[in-house]
Amino acid sequence: MEWANDKSKGGVLAHLERLETQMSRSCKNLEDPPRETAESDLGTKIHKLRCLRDKLRAEVKQRQARIKASTANAEPDQTLEISEQEAVGGKEENMKAILQAYRFTGLSGKRTSRGVCVCISTAFEGNLLDSYFVDLVIQKPLRIHHHSVPVFIPLEEISAKYLQTNIQHFLFCLCEYLNAYAGRKYQADQLQRDFAAFLAGPLQRNSLCNLLSFTYKVEPQGRSFPFCARLLYKDLTTTLPTDVTITYQGTDASSTSWEEQRASHENLFFTKPLHQVFTSFARNGER
Amino acid sequence: MDETVAEFIKRTILKIPMTEMMTILKAWDFLPENQLQTVNFRQRKESLVQDLVLLCESKRASLRDAALLDIIYTQFHRHQKVWDVFQMSKEPGEDVDLFDMERFKSSFEKILRRALKNVTVSFRDAEENAVWIRIAWGTQYRKPNQYKPVYVVYYSQTPYAFTSFCHLKSNTPLLSQALTVASNHHKIVKMDLRSRYLDSLKAIVFKQYNQKFETHNSTMPLQETLELDMHMDSRIIHENRIEKERVQRVTQETFGDYPQPRLEFAQYKLETKFKSDFHGGILAERKEPLRCLIKFSSPHLLEALKSLAPAGIADAPLSPLLTCIPNKGMNYFKIRDK
Repeated sequence: MEWANDKSKGGVLAHLERLETQMSRSCKNLEDPPRETAESDLGTKIHKLRCLRDKLRAEVKQRQARIKASTANAEPDQTLEISEQEAVGGKEENMKAILQAYRFTGLSGKRTSRGVCVCISTAFEGNLLDSYFVDLVIQKPLRIHHHSVPVFIPLEEISAKYLQTNIQHFLFCLCEYLNAYAGRKYQADQLQRDFAAFLAGPLQRNSLCNLLSFTYKVEPQGRSFPFCARLLYKDLTTTLPTDVTITYQGTDASSTSWEEQRASHENLFFTKPLHQVFTSFARNGER
Repeated sequence: MDETVAEFIKRTILKIPMTEMMTILKAWDFLPENQLQTVNFRQRKESLVQDLVLLCESKRASLRDAALLDIIYTQFHRHQKVWDVFQMSKEPGEDVDLFDMERFKSSFEKILRRALKNVTVSFRDAEENAVWIRIAWGTQYRKPNQYKPVYVVYYSQTPYAFTSFCHLKSNTPLLSQALTVASNHHKIVKMDLRSRYLDSLKAIVFKQYNQKFETHNSTMPLQETLELDMHMDSRIIHENRIEKERVQRVTQETFGDYPQPRLEFAQYKLETKFKSDFHGGILAERKEPLRCLIKFSSPHLLEALKSLAPAGIADAPLSPLLTCIPNKGMNYFKIRDK
């Protein structure tokens, strides 16, 4: 503002004085004949502005009318849009469901901000068991950020061998180990839970479930001497034992019938999962 | 029943708080349910203990039973001990570990007994295929001291063992040897990790502390913007909002969303030369390294460190010496000049 700058030339009061002199001068000017032309100039200006105002008002009204007309027409378009949205939403739900269902293939993953989070879902004989996760950071070198693989699974070994060179093999190998572990664990849990009546003592096991030691009877209420079983799973990628030792500690250990039984049991444990062996014992007992 | 055993049982039961008495006695499973019901649990503790000890005498409790009670008490009060962590290793290319718990126990005990006749070794199986071992050390001429036992917790087929702090350092090599041989390992090394919280130590070395994973099943919450902005009046302006968000983001990247494992301290031993921008300072010319010890203590150290930057007390990102603690499995550091 100009007067602010003039302040320095003598303050506010000086400024007011100047305004006063200006006004008295302009009053003198107004008394002169040029006054009339100024007036008529202003008058035409006012007239022009009024016309412009009316024109703009009319245009606004027109536009409003047009919008109303177009929205009335657009309503059927909107309903079309809604159904399209629904269709897209439905597809999205479908996709999400498919992605969630990928878990059932045993190996699935999801992109993360730093790489991918792989999910290994273990299963045994059609039963879905625990899932394990490996969160990978996609960098050079590829590395594991964090994971839920149990500490007794040789993850470091497997990743040292394959992670950098062949990630497919890494995942496949890890899947093998985890599925085998889950299968062995499932068999041991089933034995403890469903066939406790057949066990003459506690089931001895370890973290990997690759050594099982137990005493069992063929008939839960039978007065027969129990058999001692020792199952070793030296191959961590399998769910069937690699070594089976059955011993019989009864007094008639030398009798051939017991020897036959012992041998047949050994064969059973080699070829069938634990709980199936005991199911067959139970079935034989029922006969 | 031996007088010493009676005294030992008496002192162990006295330690048990009244609220836990029934639970621990049931876990011990030495006094049957019907006998326990004949005891008046509402009387004063000293009289209750006397009654219980009498019952134990009538059942002829042995040192073995008493040691088992001690293990159970310690399992309930594991925070009363300070735990160290040992890491074992095998030769590469070894056969698959066929761990047999019974063989482990007998092998462990045999190794100790061969070296030291006066030793009490007791075992109690625990969840997750683990075993708690209690060792009361004696000497060649003295019977084992039942009041200063060492505990070892070992999870089968893992390379880690957790031991409670032992005053008698002289027995540590023997204990290490027994552990290593019995568990089919070759070497053993003490880690620079120590805490009262056994479960946190386990979470750290087993790498179980971060168990949040992105899946298609769970809806990951979108990057949460600073909660401050969401609910406050729009007339309130937050200064340094961008900086605060950056700090939040960096903290989240370093510490994650999960609850931190619990440690009580981190200790840094420095042996470094003094580094200064000012030439000619007194310390700048010192040729010998400075030795000092810095210790951070907290009821929950890692949560405290996590809250430093958001609280404005420290810059984000924090020094890697602080943030590497769970990752490296260390809370004792020795820092020397390279």
